Amino acid sequence: MYLLKDVSIYFRPDTLGLMFLMLTAAMWIMDLIYSIEYMKGEKHRKRFYLFYVLTLISMCGICMAGNLITMYMCYELMAIATLPLVLHEQTEDAIAAGKKYIFYSVGGAFLGLVGFFFIYVYGDTLNFTPGGVLNTVRLAGHENAMRVVTLLVIIGFGSKAGMFPLHGWLPTAHPVAPSPASAFLSGNITKMGVFVIIRYLYYLVGADLIKGTWVQYTFLGLTVLTIVMGSMMAYKEQVFKKRLAYSTVSQVSYALFGIALFNRIGLIGGLLHVIFHSFAKNTLFEVAGAVILKTGKKKADDYKDMARYMPITMCCYTLVSLTLVGIPPTSAFLSKWYLATGSLETELSVISWLGPVALIISALLTAGYLLSITLKAFFPGDEYDYPCLEKKEPGKYMLIPMLIMSVLSVMMGIWAEPVMRVARLIAASIL
Amino acid sequence: MLFTLAAGPMVAGVIAFILGKKFGRPVRDYFADLAAVGELALLIYCSYLELNGTPVYFIAKDMCGLGLSLKLDGFRIIYGLVAAFMWAMTTIFSREYMAHYPRTNRYYFFFLFTLGATVGVFLSADLFTTFLFFEIMSFTSYAWVAHDETKESLRAAETYLCVAVIGGMVMLMGLFLLYSITGTLRMDELYESVSQAVVADPSVKLRVYVAGGCMLFGFGAKAGMFPLHIWLPKAHPVAPAPASALLSGILTKSGIFGILVISSQIFLHDPYWGFTILVLGVITMFTGALLGVFSINIKRTLACSSMSQIGFILVGIGMQGLLGEENALAIRGTILHMVNHSLIKLVLFMCAGVIYMNLHELDLNSIRGFGKGKIVLTAAFLTGGLSISGIPGFSGYVSKTLLHESIVEYMNEAPAEMYGTYKFIEAVFLLTGGMTLAYMTKLFVAVFLEKRTQGTGQGHAEVYSYDAGNGLYDESHDKRRREGYYMNDQSSFAIILAALGLFVLGAGPYRFMDRLASLAVPFMNGEGFGEKVNYFSGGNLKGGLISVSIGMLIYFGFIRTVLMKKDENGNKVYIDAWPAWLDIENLIYRPALQHIIPFVLSFILRIIDRMTDHIVSLMQRTLLSEIEPRRPLLYGNAFTHMTGIALDKVEELLNDTVRKKRPKHVNYEKKIVLSVEQVFKTFRLTSRSVSFGLMMFSLGCIFTLIYLIYVLVMHIS
Repeated sequence: MYLLKDVSIYFRPDTLGLMFLMLTAAMWIMDLIYSIEYMKGEKHRKRFYLFYVLTLISMCGICMAGNLITMYMCYELMAIATLPLVLHEQTEDAIAAGKKYIFYSVGGAFLGLVGFFFIYVYGDTLNFTPGGVLNTVRLAGHENAMRVVTLLVIIGFGSKAGMFPLHGWLPTAHPVAPSPASAFLSGNITKMGVFVIIRYLYYLVGADLIKGTWVQYTFLGLTVLTIVMGSMMAYKEQVFKKRLAYSTVSQVSYALFGIALFNRIGLIGGLLHVIFHSFAKNTLFEVAGAVILKTGKKKADDYKDMARYMPITMCCYTLVSLTLVGIPPTSAFLSKWYLATGSLETELSVISWLGPVALIISALLTAGYLLSITLKAFFPGDEYDYPCLEKKEPGKYMLIPMLIMSVLSVMMGIWAEPVMRVARLIAASIL
Repeated sequence: MLFTLAAGPMVAGVIAFILGKKFGRPVRDYFADLAAVGELALLIYCSYLELNGTPVYFIAKDMCGLGLSLKLDGFRIIYGLVAAFMWAMTTIFSREYMAHYPRTNRYYFFFLFTLGATVGVFLSADLFTTFLFFEIMSFTSYAWVAHDETKESLRAAETYLCVAVIGGMVMLMGLFLLYSITGTLRMDELYESVSQAVVADPSVKLRVYVAGGCMLFGFGAKAGMFPLHIWLPKAHPVAPAPASALLSGILTKSGIFGILVISSQIFLHDPYWGFTILVLGVITMFTGALLGVFSINIKRTLACSSMSQIGFILVGIGMQGLLGEENALAIRGTILHMVNHSLIKLVLFMCAGVIYMNLHELDLNSIRGFGKGKIVLTAAFLTGGLSISGIPGFSGYVSKTLLHESIVEYMNEAPAEMYGTYKFIEAVFLLTGGMTLAYMTKLFVAVFLEKRTQGTGQGHAEVYSYDAGNGLYDESHDKRRREGYYMNDQSSFAIILAALGLFVLGAGPYRFMDRLASLAVPFMNGEGFGEKVNYFSGGNLKGGLISVSIGMLIYFGFIRTVLMKKDENGNKVYIDAWPAWLDIENLIYRPALQHIIPFVLSFILRIIDRMTDHIVSLMQRTLLSEIEPRRPLLYGNAFTHMTGIALDKVEELLNDTVRKKRPKHVNYEKKIVLSVEQVFKTFRLTSRSVSFGLMMFSLGCIFTLIYLIYVLVMHIS
């Protein structure tokens, strides 16, 4: 199907696309099951589900797109389709957040569009090809312009992935959306930013143009800054969902950091972190939603003694928290291991060890903002020592997805081979 | 089989939790005993296989992504057995001790889970496996410290977890660096690959030291090494006694295990590394003993003593590095002191547990005289106390002698300008040995020799009210207790067995201890040595006697005089003379980690975080805002509008700053417009009146007159 003479709509999923597609679909189903119970009391359910499905469609489009224009169109569709999810509550906050969200999304996408024009002029084709499509003859003399544009594209699409400087929408938009939506926003839609950046860097521009240049340093610097900044802000944040949103800012930049390393181990680490973080963050937002639904508590301090009321929920929470901190044998430890060793393997002087240090600091802060809640919930102190029990555990539709995801996020760390094989396959095919 | 040793207790922990929920305490308790004893039995079987020439190992290449590997060798057999033995004893002991505690299901769950993790640490054959089980162990043992959920225990547990998490993460950084240098973490390959990397590129050496330092930080935090010892004196007194025994006896040793691996695999015979560990060890040893002398809480004293003994062990590890090839003495001293200390602390903490179980007090003034006439308790405590103080004839003497000998040996070899330093270290060593005796005497005299004075009894009452509330109160039990009964058969069995083990060990230095030491020597890459050490030679006894006399001097000269005061009744009481502010945790770590660093970091990062948002909103307000069409002024003119707005802004500014408390709200624009209108209006009115005309006319006349006069005057002149 052709839009213009040589600009076509073209779908062609490859291993990378399929990996993201499977992840998205799996998480979508989990959130869908969860939403059955969560959305029971909400108004405008039909509207919610319409756009929820539309989101999935657009994301499938991104994952399966075979060329840049198709991907870009689906990307814009996704931004628009998710807007009503943010706006769902229709309060003043929600509308303001929605405005901010659309501003950052569209603004970021426009920055990305610049890259599209450049690829159109200097590339042989718009189809994704491992190793890049740039035509060296035509590009001669314009390499630096291409690099500048690439950085713009990274920053632009980085806005979806919550990378500094365009990360501002996450902490605003996530807390106001209903929990199934914010789980999906945080766990998967941010990953689309990562995916698009991988496509652009590895399949269009090619690693050779960027590797070792100032663009790579800037990209790495931005991700390292985001990693530390996100965790620190989360550590200081009291509203629980907002804390999780900041945590996403930090964690997705782990994945971007791996991508920015331009070596195989780093890339494997990045891809693994995409998967593991997705499981963990979806669960965390679902826990937050369950607590809000059953008790109405939104602040981190309110979680004191929560384990007495919702033991299973808090156990899930603890498991995925340990995952996000990166305590072995949970899954995210593995991705962190690959990221750090990949980083130390590069010859990037300062940043090669600054990255791992940032990962460690961020892990400490993650422990500070996630595990502190676990401790409060399970060890509230002796003034909370009363035997009366009033279980507020959510129903099975909410518990089952949480349980599945939290157990999986630990199990994937212990039996990591299947996931690792996929990541290795992808990394080997493009680097 | 080895994997079962590590994972089995974890599964057993889950089962115990479920059993406890479903069938109540007795079933669960028996199951836990069974699990712990079973673990010990399985380990003995594995050791038997290994020692008879069947190598026992476990390798799972893909498990946990990087591969797990466990194996058995001499050292691992010893420490695995020590761990399993301690767990078996404490599990048996827990039954009575925990009988009056709430939330015991949780306790048993974490208790057994930690057993698996700890055995995993000691059996690990590569550093990744070590790290994995180490982290599990750190997290699960948190629950022990926090178990009581009182304010102190939660705070201590928080400290414990913070130290563990920070230590773990720093250690991970060390592992990253090490892996990037060597490409392997297998312990038996480390030495070769590090030396190869250093030969290939000498600049890597620095990186190796950084990696080693990071790992030392992590393992040292668990071991209780200065300056990361802060959790030790706080966590032990608040944890249940069986847990304190394990924390002190075996969990700290897992840190030592890590330090041993680094020292004997990565930095084998490296004098710089050895010296660093030695200095840290000397500080730890002395500080711990000093804190112990001042402490008046029995479990706190024992905890400080643990810290001090860890210092002794570190001294041994340091001497291993310094002595190089001829380090057999240091190696044997290190391993024997580790085993001794584990068993000693097992006995002593269980004794403290018996005291707490009966009195629910730990303060020396409240428990004094409790042990009078209780023979089993006295014998057990005495065995532990004499052993830890290094009295000849007990096991602690042997290991301390070996450590002392290694210092002396190096002192005579060291370059002349360093002789003084090592002489000083030796002196500190002997002094610390004396202090050990002093604080153990303090405990023994207080608990077993002094007259019983009634404590406050508060803890007791609390527990009974809890028991009564939960249907756990047993009247016959209470009655028996008043009749001098203080522990049941199982608890005595555990204590007696542990003490007996310790006693036998000390009774046969050549038969048992030398063999134990020889078993562990290959692990630390040491050479066997030909002649036997004569532990009871004159020279060695002299060192012991010096320590004993120093100890007596400190006890009678310092503790009984300075640290005891007469209260209003004329009784001598123990006083806490340690200045409360002198607490490195509250003085440095907490302010720095809780306030200063987060504040500075978050201040900078928040600016960065909000930067984009602020730029966007600034643009919205300025560049991107709609330009409002110029509308005609409703009243006033341009002048009044401008000055009025200016004044309004000034007022706003003043209200925000200077006049915050008494803000002024005046609309200056309106005010100015009104006054200007007034002026114009008056002017109009006046200009139309007759009197104004007349006034103008008169003025005209006056001007004409003045002009005429002027002309006249000019003309005349």
